Amino acid sequence: MEVRLLRPVLMLYTALFLLFLYGPIIILAILSFQSQSGGPQFPIQEWSVYWYRHLLGLAETSRVSQLPVGESLVRSLVLAFMTTVVSVTLGTMSAEAFRTRFKGAGPIFYLIILGMMVPGVLVGLGVALLANFLDIGRAWWSTSFVLHVVYTFPFAFLVMLAIFNRFDRSVEEASLSLGVSPAKTFRRVTFPLIFPGVLSAMLFSFTLSYDEFSRTLFTAGADLTLPLSIYGTFSVEIYPNVFAFGVLTTLFSFTLLAIYGLLMKRFTARSKSRFAGQEET
Amino acid sequence: MLYDLELKSVGKTYPDGTVAVSDFDLKVEKGEFVAFLGPSGCGKSTTLRMIAGFEEITNGDIFIMGQNISKTPPEKRPTSMIFQNYALFPHMSVRQNIAFGLDIKGTPKAEKDRKIDRILDMFNLTEFADRKADKLSGGQRQRIALARGLVVEPEILLLDEPLGALDANLRRIIQNELKLLQRDLGITFVFVTHAQSEALGLSDRVVVMSNGVVEQISAPKELYTRPATPFVAGFIGSNTLIEGKPSQGRDQELQQIETRYGPISGVGAADANLAVIPAEAFTLGLRNTPGEIRLEGTVTAKQVVGSIGYFRVKLSDGYEIEVEAHAGAIEAQNYALGSPVTLGVDPMSVTLIHH
Repeated sequence: MEVRLLRPVLMLYTALFLLFLYGPIIILAILSFQSQSGGPQFPIQEWSVYWYRHLLGLAETSRVSQLPVGESLVRSLVLAFMTTVVSVTLGTMSAEAFRTRFKGAGPIFYLIILGMMVPGVLVGLGVALLANFLDIGRAWWSTSFVLHVVYTFPFAFLVMLAIFNRFDRSVEEASLSLGVSPAKTFRRVTFPLIFPGVLSAMLFSFTLSYDEFSRTLFTAGADLTLPLSIYGTFSVEIYPNVFAFGVLTTLFSFTLLAIYGLLMKRFTARSKSRFAGQEET
Repeated sequence: MLYDLELKSVGKTYPDGTVAVSDFDLKVEKGEFVAFLGPSGCGKSTTLRMIAGFEEITNGDIFIMGQNISKTPPEKRPTSMIFQNYALFPHMSVRQNIAFGLDIKGTPKAEKDRKIDRILDMFNLTEFADRKADKLSGGQRQRIALARGLVVEPEILLLDEPLGALDANLRRIIQNELKLLQRDLGITFVFVTHAQSEALGLSDRVVVMSNGVVEQISAPKELYTRPATPFVAGFIGSNTLIEGKPSQGRDQELQQIETRYGPISGVGAADANLAVIPAEAFTLGLRNTPGEIRLEGTVTAKQVVGSIGYFRVKLSDGYEIEVEAHAGAIEAQNYALGSPVTLGVDPMSVTLIHH
């Protein structure tokens, strides 16, 4: 009897879950095809791709100014890339350090994790005040960049820590015992084996940085990143061109995910049981 | 004389004060096959890892070919280690696994290929050369690990329970291969195991360890016939231990102790107080050996397996001992359960040690 009841309840739960997950995006996508005369709400007056053309500057001049995302998009992508490189490198190195117990490992662990726990607006404000106090100019590539790294580094660190947890150290020892230096052992043995983890850490860092808002708000200075400049357009009036942009950026995220999925698949297919060394006796 | 491997009072104490190994002394000649034998946690693997360079030495020194390598990092030591879980590189093919050490050393291609082909052939791996290592069976993987470790031509091959993950049949086969291989190559092997049969069957000398201390270093046969400590007497084979007090020796060769069953003489130190009698040294009934030891008891269990009879005999004071006898040499039917029996022991096969 319980099972008979459980099934529909679970199905309803799943349906609601999916609805809340994808509902907003779907609404956004539908509204992005509103006609020029329609507003950012239902009903759809007429289906058109006007706002996409408007976004790309292909539309004839209108009273709505073009969404100022071009430069901020480039900034956000560059910032996310820089953040990813630094965070994943730092995260991998510190996770490697945590493989051996060292003095003060406990406190240092929590200090690292703190970076993703503290409220973003507060740290942002704090860094802005500190920058003012020290007379350092605020910019997306300096103050914001530092905060993005502080924020994403713990995620990369935790992912790599989990990967190293399952990693069989004797494979590295075997390499050393063959006369291979620690540096070459890392490059030729350790890194290829932890690569899926590195990929996941990169995905985390990139997405977290790409749409970071609160930490960037006070620290970006005059040149805005993408989330900031989109937020800026809300303060005037919302037109469906924002939705069109939302759809395009979602497609971009899906592309990133697809690349990630393909790389993972390719890698795991190459060696089905990556941790074969750990096979039980 | 120059030893291939020499350990001089090597010890390891962890930062928290736990002693893993202490005062390990060993001299190994070129081409010798040495086994470290002991229960788990006795420090045998730690010692092996100290030789390989994976564990720091806190006391003493290790020499390879006369060179002190105590502070040398593992990749600079002329040793190669074989792991119980094989530790193959899962992202490489069999050939790449074996080539790895030579690749990094920058061995010229022609020479490298020749060496790899030879070792692939030696281990019957040629047909698997291009497969992924983790797709193969346990025995094949162990052969790859051996080939990979040997192709770099180490001075000493270190093997950490290399047969532990294999099933009994395969273990016997690889065991034989290992012995032949070692004899052909003439490389020094240091082998860690907790299985008596492996240590005794493969090695020239066995180091028996317990609680981080070396109990005895000797040839396998001697471990049986002349155990040096109560631990070895209890760990190897099946021995009867009888306590006693030192007493006057009977002659030059033999010493004697006074036990609750009367005097027992045997080979050993003058002030020994424990007699060790191997189960197979007993005879049921008496031979006519001069000075023969005589113990009276009753048979409480009996099992004849093929040519060997296993008996359990309860001595006059209730102490039960294990006796092994060749079925041909005794008339098993004469010793039914509950029947009285006289056990004879040749003093030459008794070892007297300190308790």
